[in-house]
Formats: sequence, structure tokens, C-alpha cells
Amino acid sequence: MERRRFLGRSAAGALALGGAAALQGQRSNLPPAVTPTAYAVPKSEYNAYLTPDYHTYASDLVIERDQPGKPHQGKALAAIQAHSDDITLFAAGTVAKLIGEGYTGYLIRVSNDEKAGKTVGHGVVQNEIDNQEAAQALGCKKAYSFYYRNHRMDDCAMIEIRQRLMFLFRLLQVNTVIAMDPYDHYDENPDHIVVGKAVESASWMASPGGGHEYPEQLKAGLKHCQIRERYYHCRSPQGHNLVNRVVDISSYIDHKVRANVANKGKGPAGDNGMRLRQELARQGKKLPLLGNDDDTANFQYTKHFLMEDFRVLGKQFGLEYAETFRYIGREPDLRQAVRKYVDGHTVPL
Amino acid sequence: MNRHNILGLAADVVVVKDERGQPHRGKVFAAVHAHLDDVPYYASGLCAKLLSEGYTGYIVRTSNDEKYGGRSTAQNILSNEEDHFRMAAALGFKDVFDFYYQNHEMNGISYLDLRGRLILIFRFLKVDTVLSFNPWGHGEDDSDHWVTGRAVDEACWMAGMPNDFQEHLDAGIQPHRVSERYYFCTRPEQPFNRVVDIRTHLEKKIDAIVECRSRGEGNRGSLVRAQLAKEGKRLPLLGNDDRAADRAYARQFLLDQDREYGKQHKLEFAERFYYIDQRRAGKSKAEEYIEKNAVRI
Repeated sequence: MERRRFLGRSAAGALALGGAAALQGQRSNLPPAVTPTAYAVPKSEYNAYLTPDYHTYASDLVIERDQPGKPHQGKALAAIQAHSDDITLFAAGTVAKLIGEGYTGYLIRVSNDEKAGKTVGHGVVQNEIDNQEAAQALGCKKAYSFYYRNHRMDDCAMIEIRQRLMFLFRLLQVNTVIAMDPYDHYDENPDHIVVGKAVESASWMASPGGGHEYPEQLKAGLKHCQIRERYYHCRSPQGHNLVNRVVDISSYIDHKVRANVANKGKGPAGDNGMRLRQELARQGKKLPLLGNDDDTANFQYTKHFLMEDFRVLGKQFGLEYAETFRYIGREPDLRQAVRKYVDGHTVPL
Repeated sequence: MNRHNILGLAADVVVVKDERGQPHRGKVFAAVHAHLDDVPYYASGLCAKLLSEGYTGYIVRTSNDEKYGGRSTAQNILSNEEDHFRMAAALGFKDVFDFYYQNHEMNGISYLDLRGRLILIFRFLKVDTVLSFNPWGHGEDDSDHWVTGRAVDEACWMAGMPNDFQEHLDAGIQPHRVSERYYFCTRPEQPFNRVVDIRTHLEKKIDAIVECRSRGEGNRGSLVRAQLAKEGKRLPLLGNDDRAADRAYARQFLLDQDREYGKQHKLEFAERFYYIDQRRAGKSKAEEYIEKNAVRI
């Protein structure tokens, strides 16, 4: 993620929050006869820019709520992100929810995140650690990294990335993917676009419907997989997408917070709570919200200031916290439909 | 560090003859070519020799050969595919891999995709030896050849690096470096340091060539025979059936290069290669020194 700066590394920056909400409630000059096709997403008073400026909603929008038990037991989920903070910020609640409902989860990071860190080397190492830690916080079984160069992925061979994703999808027998929507409007980051497109094509090509794709992978012992569900998330603040699914992440908001706290190398969470607490202490002050230790400070800071956008988003749908997606589910089975028709209409010769 | 010793060829040339028994039992080679008729012409004698000496062989064709076959592009792809399977069976390859990149267009493909596929194959088959195009071969005007050769060259050593395609390890596929390479001589001016005596494998080479019907003149003998018959003539050399005609034609007209290469070394038929041996022989000087001089603390 390289979005508008929410907070710098200094607590002074954090304390200067507040003015961003000024635009809220801005009136529209849209003539009454014109129906809007995109909707401004309400922001929290802190405005961490973690939800997009606009959403386009589908008429058949579904709210996905917690399911009792482990309905997804035996299924595998791959959450693919260009950068260590993409899934954590935009879709971590849903990843944690699906894992909580039985999925085996895997986190795949495609870039090396070299642009975030005091040197390239330090940044790469820290983000590598963060990706592992975030995966653990979400309950993933394993994290993978491909280490393509950060912000330069439009110079990579997308087809090689796709090949590698297909290998992993087949190896892990992935059923469901979560990734950045390849059709996010106004996304400025080339890494997002490349990864989104690679995931989109790898998802169907890894299945038997993909035809004779990379048969050597099958000869090496892998099997086709069946990816029947895709959750595409937006990037923020630019990059709105078509939304047809709102996921209630209220039960998993603390997982999301912990995954973001794990991102020390980039993203707006990490150790910012600790830094704020330390800066206040140097001034002889404390903020009760941040508690009495660094871990509590990081957790509370992230939950209070950063998750607020997801709380405001959820409120629109009567939920405590929510994430939004373009969801693509199982395609209708034509053969089954034809068979049903034949069974219902066949007459003796 | 690169260890190739590419110059001084004349002094380095080694004539390789058949070895007794099965000295290569347990070893694996992959012949990677771009087109149906590359291996048959440039290296099928060596392939037959290595197979007879114990190697297990696999063949990889990188292009779809769509430009050859004399029919529609689609029909050409099919006929070359079928020929390739037959040719591989004739030589005794254990399995065939076809990548189907577009013929004559391979300098426009993602070279990384090709290399990644070769790395997977070299690893899971545990390939010890490859036969392919010389990526530095002068006079190589076919882009499919040099793209394939370059990808093979890099895949050979990258297949041994655990940080390349780390996901392979999760599938139980271990890093595996390819340690011997035979580069074809596709043009007479290309370097070589091995001349392989293929006299005892000539029939196998002809077996392979005659399966190259869509490209490679494999069925030229039967076509000539049919043409002559229409004119009310026959050529005794071509025998009495199509199969015999193809084999006789290949033997008489399609092996001039191998005859020429052999003549220079007093052999009847030979193939030329630039051979690179990266097998590790024994311990390094550093290891020997440490072993000899390490003392107890």
C-alpha cells in the first residue's frame, strides 16, 4: 500500500489528526433527475483513508455474516497481496473469518516491499518478517513470498507470476482466493494491477477448465484445483470497485488489528501506538486509551484510529465492522441445468 | 563466477566413442529443442548413444511448429505434435513435453515463463545432463533456437538454487543443478569440443529423421517415389515401399553433415557438440586444506 499518508512516524503527526472529516457531509450538485452510479463512502473522523472514496453497489448485494460451526472445513483459501499490508488493511477480517469457519489459509505476498524501510535491505528483511507475522495473526498455515521488486512489477513477466500462482494453487488445492480487484478504478499502484490480473487468470487456468496449461506441473505430481469463489477487495482511497458483498467482520476485528500491528515495516499501524505513548511520556503525559505497555498501545491505537473506517462502513449496513468485496461465486452448472430440464420434460418414444 | 572454457577448441576436441555396458545407469538427460527436427538432425545419434549406455531420456519441444507442414496453421500444429510423439518413441525417450510457444515468434514470448517451466522439469526429473542449442552460437538466425538455448542455459544452474521458485520445495521438488551440457552445432561455424562417433546409432538416427514428416524431409523418399511412379519411373535406391523409400532417402541424402563432421576425425558419421562439464570431482582445495590442517580446540 502506498496511499495518502495517514500518519508519519512522529507522534506529532498523529496528534494533528482531525481536520480530515471536514469534507464529510459535503452536498452534492448532482441534478435531481440524475441517479448517482457511485456512492461516496463515509469516512471516520480520523479518516485513515482505509476505505475507498467511492463504491459502486450491485443490486443483488449480499451481507455475509458469521456461519456457525466449520462449514468450510477441508477447503483451502489463498489470500494474495502485492505488499505486506494490502490484505491486512483491506481484507484481513474476511480472511480471519473464513479461516475461523474452517478454511486452511495461505498468505502469498508477491513483491519484496523494498520501498518501505530505512534502507532497501532493512526494508526487505522487516517486511519479510511482517508477512510471516501477519499470516500467523490471521491463522494462516503458511506464508509465501515471491520477492518481485516493489513498485516495478509492471516490468515483470506477468505470465511468470501467473505460472507460479498456478503452481501454488494446484499444490495447495485452493478453492477460494482473496486478492486486490484487478478492475479497481484509479488504482495508482502498478503492483496491484499486475497481481490482480495474474490472480484472476491463474484462478481459472489452474482448474481443469483451463485446458492444457502447464502440463508439466501435473506430471510433477500436482493436480488441477477448483477455484470456485473469489473475493476481490478495493484499494483505498483511490481504486473503487463494484461491490456485491459486504462481510460482517465484527467477530474478527481483533484478528485484523493484530495482523496490522504485525506490519512494522510498512502500513499505518505497526509500532505507531508505542511511538505515540513514548512521545507523550517524554512530554510527561499519557493517553489512557493506549494502556500501560507497548503491545496494548499498538493494539489500541490500531483499533481506535485505523479500524474506525471499517466501523463507519459497517454502520451503513447495520454491522459493527465490515469489509466490502466484488464476490464471484460458483458459475451455474449448464450440464446440470440441462439434465434437470431433460428429466422434467422427457416423454416416451 | 563462470567456469566455461570456451576458446581453444581445436586443441580441446575429444572424440567420444561408445562406452561398454551401462555406465550412465541412474542418470537422466533432457534434450530440449525448439522444433520437431532439431534433435533428430543435430543430436539424435548422441541421444541414442546415451540411452543405450543407461541414461533415461526426456525430450522437450518449446515451439508449436505451426509454420511447417504444408497445411493450415492449425493442421500443422497437430501434425507436428503427432510426429514429435512418434519421433520421441522411435528414439526411446521416456516422456515428451511440448510447450507450444508460437513458432518463429519466440523472441516475443516471456522468456521468464519458459525458463521457469524448464526449471521445474529439470528439478522434478532430476536432470543431470541437457542437450540443447548453444546460446552463444554464431550464425544462429532462428530466434526460437537462441531463445530456447538461453533459457536452458540459465535454467540449468538456477534449478540448483533453493531461493529460485521456493514454492517447488513445498511440493517436495528439491533444487537440482544440471551439471553436464551438450550444445548442438546447428551451423558449421559454431564451436565444438566433442565429436561423437554415431556409427553404431545411425539406424536410430534414421528412425528419428523419417518421423519428421511435417518438417525435416522425413517423408521425402516416399514423396519422390510417388512422383516418379506418376511419371512411370522408379529409383531402385528407394526400394519397394514408402518406409524403405524414406529411410533410403534419409541415408543417402540427409546425413551429409554427419559424414562431413566424421570425415575430419576418420569416422564414418559424427555429431559435434560444445560440451560443458560442471560435475564436481572430489574435494575443493579449500576443503582439502581444512581437512588436513584443522586441529582440535
